Amino acid sequence: MAAVAQTDYAQLGNDLEREELENGATPGSIRLYCQLLAVYLLQNDMCNAKLLWKRIPPTVKQTSPELTNIWVVGQKMWLRDYAGIYEALQKEWSEEVKMIMGAVQESVRERALRLVRLAYSSISTDDLAQFLGVSGEKAVQVAQREGWQVDEQSRIITPKKIEPVPAPAILSEQHLSVLTDYVTFMEN
Amino acid sequence: MPMTSFFQASALEPMQVDVVEENQNVEEEQNYLVENASIDLEHYASQFTGLARLNRLLFIAEHCNSLKVEALRMALNYTMKTTFNTTLYQLIHHKLEIATSGSRGGASSSGQNNLPDVASAINSVDTQWVEVTSKKAALKLEKLDTDLKNYKSNSIKESIRRGHDDLGDHYLDCGDLSNALKCYSRARDYCTSPKHVVNMCLNVIKVSVYLQNWSHVQSYVNKAEVTPDNNKEAYQSISSRLKCAAGLADLATRKYKSAAKYFLQVNFDYCDFPELLSPSNVATYGALCALATFDRKELQVNVISSSSFKQFLELEPQLRDIMSKFYESKYASCLTLLTEIKDNLLLDMYVAPHVNTLYTQIRNRALCQYFSPYLSADMRKMAEAFNTSVNALEDELMQLILDGQIKARIDSHNKILYAKDVDQRSTTFEKAILMGKEYQRRTKALILRSAVIKIQLHVKSPPREGMQVEMSIAPASASSVVRN
Amino acid sequence: MATALEQYVTMVQNLSASGNLTQLCDFINKSTDMLTKNASHLDNVFGTLDMQQTSLGVLGVLCVKYNLPLSNTSDIDTLLVQTTEFLSKCNGEQVRYATDSYAELCHKYAQTLIDRKMYSSGIAPLSQAIQKIQIHPAQLTSIHANLCQLCLLSKNLKPALRFLDIDITEISREGGRFDAKDYLLHYYYGGMIYTALKNYDRALYYFEVVVTTPSVAVSHIMMEAYKKFILVSLILHGKIINLPQYTSQVLKRYIRPLCQPYLDLASVYAQNNLADLRTTLTKHTEVFNRDNNMGLVKQCQTSMIKKNIQRLTKTFLTLSLTDMANRVQLSGPKEAENYVLHMIEDGEIFATINQKDGMVRFHDNPEKYSSPNMLLELDKEMQRCIQLDSKLREMDREITVNPQYVQKSTGSHEDDMPGTSTGPGKIQAY
Repeated sequence: MAAVAQTDYAQLGNDLEREELENGATPGSIRLYCQLLAVYLLQNDMCNAKLLWKRIPPTVKQTSPELTNIWVVGQKMWLRDYAGIYEALQKEWSEEVKMIMGAVQESVRERALRLVRLAYSSISTDDLAQFLGVSGEKAVQVAQREGWQVDEQSRIITPKKIEPVPAPAILSEQHLSVLTDYVTFMEN
Repeated sequence: MPMTSFFQASALEPMQVDVVEENQNVEEEQNYLVENASIDLEHYASQFTGLARLNRLLFIAEHCNSLKVEALRMALNYTMKTTFNTTLYQLIHHKLEIATSGSRGGASSSGQNNLPDVASAINSVDTQWVEVTSKKAALKLEKLDTDLKNYKSNSIKESIRRGHDDLGDHYLDCGDLSNALKCYSRARDYCTSPKHVVNMCLNVIKVSVYLQNWSHVQSYVNKAEVTPDNNKEAYQSISSRLKCAAGLADLATRKYKSAAKYFLQVNFDYCDFPELLSPSNVATYGALCALATFDRKELQVNVISSSSFKQFLELEPQLRDIMSKFYESKYASCLTLLTEIKDNLLLDMYVAPHVNTLYTQIRNRALCQYFSPYLSADMRKMAEAFNTSVNALEDELMQLILDGQIKARIDSHNKILYAKDVDQRSTTFEKAILMGKEYQRRTKALILRSAVIKIQLHVKSPPREGMQVEMSIAPASASSVVRN
Repeated sequence: MATALEQYVTMVQNLSASGNLTQLCDFINKSTDMLTKNASHLDNVFGTLDMQQTSLGVLGVLCVKYNLPLSNTSDIDTLLVQTTEFLSKCNGEQVRYATDSYAELCHKYAQTLIDRKMYSSGIAPLSQAIQKIQIHPAQLTSIHANLCQLCLLSKNLKPALRFLDIDITEISREGGRFDAKDYLLHYYYGGMIYTALKNYDRALYYFEVVVTTPSVAVSHIMMEAYKKFILVSLILHGKIINLPQYTSQVLKRYIRPLCQPYLDLASVYAQNNLADLRTTLTKHTEVFNRDNNMGLVKQCQTSMIKKNIQRLTKTFLTLSLTDMANRVQLSGPKEAENYVLHMIEDGEIFATINQKDGMVRFHDNPEKYSSPNMLLELDKEMQRCIQLDSKLREMDREITVNPQYVQKSTGSHEDDMPGTSTGPGKIQAY
């Protein structure tokens, strides 16, 4: 489900980029900029998000507070200020970007969880809550759902590392032919 | 090999000598004073002759207040007794005056002069000596010059050679080093036997050392070494001298390992080179350089069990102890002993600029050796063994690890040093991938370059009328770029 | 319509139809004066000629129009619209007979857009223009630089990437008009684009290409590129990487001395001391600001902190955040934690933070080079190397069968061979 949606957004991003180019020197619609900016955020493509924000004509920026709101999220993401991101995301988004911004929030949260798992051998409940943009109790719940150890007293959570999933092996025949290629290459 | 040394030698014409002077050996701090020196000046000075003695005494006078007056006085007397060097005499006398006036409340130099009895007995400049000596020197010079001219007109090679040498000796006595060098070098064309060539080399080497022209020293050592000599007895003595000179040159140019090797090859029984250095010097320089650069096995083979070098070390009992403590891994006492002799070393004109570097290297080597047998080591104990704090040790170790001298990691939490076992397989993969990427980068650049060359593209000066159009644009930023 | 113009139209149509395109180009070049004289009727000609069938004829008309002193805004607008349409509709096969005029048209078009600050409207047309004129995607044209410049000016960098990502193997001569400046600018702008997108590796490569261009004179583009080369090199590698041997002496002798503040920065960077770096930075602030390089300079500062943290990972197994903050001169454990966190996220170090006791534990690279994914990755790398190798072989073959090369290498020196033989001859040397 998520995968399907994501490819859609990638496609949407491409379409919007093309649309922007075809507009030439005439400014694009507010919808175009809002959606494209949101898609960049979703893709965590901060460089392009920043560039887009810089090139949006001031007149468009002035007429659309929503555009500014989206960029506030972007700024916080640029700084990796998780508390700030979640706060900036707490807006009533218009229909045009609602779905995308929802997906942004989800992807940020997912990324944060992955980062905590990777980077911390122990973390305070408060910090985890901040990473996830939720209350302390909710953070504990998330941790428990992930199977992490929670020390209620010291309010310290011990994230559990994930064992790497063994990827499927390559067919040996194919492998062999590749190796043959290498040997021929080396011998030349 | 002979080929290369020949080229090295011929690349440096003796006439160019006064042009080049290497300065890389004077980087270290030169302005320091030593407080606690324990040198018996009389004995120390007696090990050297000629300029070597004078230079060393002056160096001590420069860096040690307590020995200053005595050293200057000895230098003064020696100058008067053995040389025609009136300039140097006046210079030393001037220094001595300043030094002694210090005790009488003069503001110029030290202030703490603890030899007032000697100080008060300073004579004024012996103008008569200066005059007589200058005259004598001039007369001798004239005579030698005339002699040489006569030899030349008679074209007796051997006499001409000797004439040059005598003139060189005389210039040396007068302190005119560059002329001395010129004379000695000119003798080169009149050498008729290998013995003469070697003699010429030794003369040039001697003066070049005084001039601190180390590359010159090195190339003449090479030259002498490839000159065949049949005389076994003389060979030993000459070879030892050459090793001394080469060691000195390498020490001065910071090639410590090579310096150590040269000093270790000096034969104790034939070590007689008071114009340059003493057997004690050989012991000191050799031992320090070896400690700083040899690994354990090299130390064992070349130093500890070298019967020849053992004789040298006997001259410097403290160094002998340092050497054995180091080898027995008693680093704390080894380092303490090193600290004890540091002040004396700082008064040795040749090793002084390198003392700190050598000490650091010795210490690093000790640290590495201390840890080498362990998989993990308690840094608290290690700090104890090296007379240092755990934090300071941590810093030292960090540097060593970064330099790749110790393969280990620090557990700063528990203050334990762990040996790091390198995963050969992973590193090989890492390297291979890196090399692959580098290959790709280079190849792409080359392909592009061949395309560039194919259309003969290159940046050239703009045609005159089109000055502004061509190259004067300086696109600095994205926003201000304008294509002309 | 004047008869001369009618004749022009007829000739263009006939020659296009019969496929005598070389002859047609000749004819069009000779008609420039006539077209200029009949400037007022050129739009009629433009309307009459079919852009697909008679692309060269239209190209001739447009080139002349750009050389006219147009003062009327609407005239310029019309011209821009006409060019845009032409670039999208023209026949690539035909215009490839007049690469020089075609490139010229694109340069003028781009310049007009820049003068009118209509940067973004040129991106799509010029992208099309490049693709039409190229014989293959790895061929560099002088239009590339125009496109990159428009992308930079409009702050829309993505469209340039589809061209920049391809490694060039050939350069279009454009009738001898392809200039060193086009080349330098393309790689300089490309380097800036990659820098802006934080693809520093590629950016460094682009700047390196600029500063290693064969040269006998000082170019400002080269100098600016060298400054950025130093900065990006510091950000990426923590030192100035070595330039290949074929780097022109001009760089070392004349350009380097002009970049002293940057060299200072690099030498102080090597000391790994943040405070010293900041001092140098302050000392040269004016220069860095003037060169518009302050952003990159500041990133050097961040990169030094990261490099210093990476050095710590090489020496320590565990280290407290407080100690780390002291060692890399950060404000405190919180800032240290932030740096470590960012670096872990970006895969720059392998570590875990223990908030319970405020310690960081450093790990080795967990990659064991044994997973199928890694194998696949290795495989890809190998393939790339193999491809490059075969490209080299192909080039080598081309050279060995080149008559001039054969002549040279067999030792016969015929004086009637003009200097052109240096081309293939030199390739061997590199």
